[in-house]
Amino acid sequence: MDLKNLISEATIILSLEATSKEECIRSLTSTLVDNGVVSNAEVYVESVLKREETGSTGIGFSVAIPHGKSPGVTEPGLAFARLQNALDWESLDGNPVSLVFLIAVPEDKAGSEHLQILASISRKLIHEEFRNKLLYAQSSQDILDAISN
Amino acid sequence: MVSKEVTIGNATGLHARPAQKFVQLAGKFQSQIQIYKNNESKTDAKSILGLMSLALEKGTTITIEATGDDEQEAVDQLIELINNFGDE
Repeated sequence: MDLKNLISEATIILSLEATSKEECIRSLTSTLVDNGVVSNAEVYVESVLKREETGSTGIGFSVAIPHGKSPGVTEPGLAFARLQNALDWESLDGNPVSLVFLIAVPEDKAGSEHLQILASISRKLIHEEFRNKLLYAQSSQDILDAISN
Repeated sequence: MVSKEVTIGNATGLHARPAQKFVQLAGKFQSQIQIYKNNESKTDAKSILGLMSLALEKGTTITIEATGDDEQEAVDQLIELINNFGDE
């Protein structure tokens, strides 16, 4: 799964001001609406929030990877935000989250597509150097470069 | 060294919460524990990102391999955990 085909500068928010998980997810979703990945924001956001209810997607390392498989999605896509103020995400390690990847996958896609995207992101996050690049990038382009590399 | 195969049976596969439980249990053993998927990729069983990077979905068969003083216990208990995930 090549992440650079899923994300673009337009779906990266370098410094997002959000006071809740839902607000963060909604802001990221609007970037996916703008680039045509999400056709129905309400239906998609609902699927993402429903997934969060079954167990937090905060995986530790200050990172959360919310995701939704939904008929409100036209094609697979990925958005990223760095939060101005870290948010409580009920993370597995108990720490607040400041880096958020939002995955969108159409309902009719083969079952494991979001898992493949999740795996690709995880493979990168294993490296501390990559996590630091996300934390200290000066521009959306820097983040895009780190993810595309 | 002890190793044994197991097939992931729960619907969501081995990521998020089930992965967290797995990593927590693995961390309790002194043995070095590796997970192999299809004999091609492997990861440290004590790393959540490592586990997630394998994309372990329902139906995937993995091999758990432990080396150390508590190797038998480690493999047995981790396999039992996977078999007990049920519909999670």
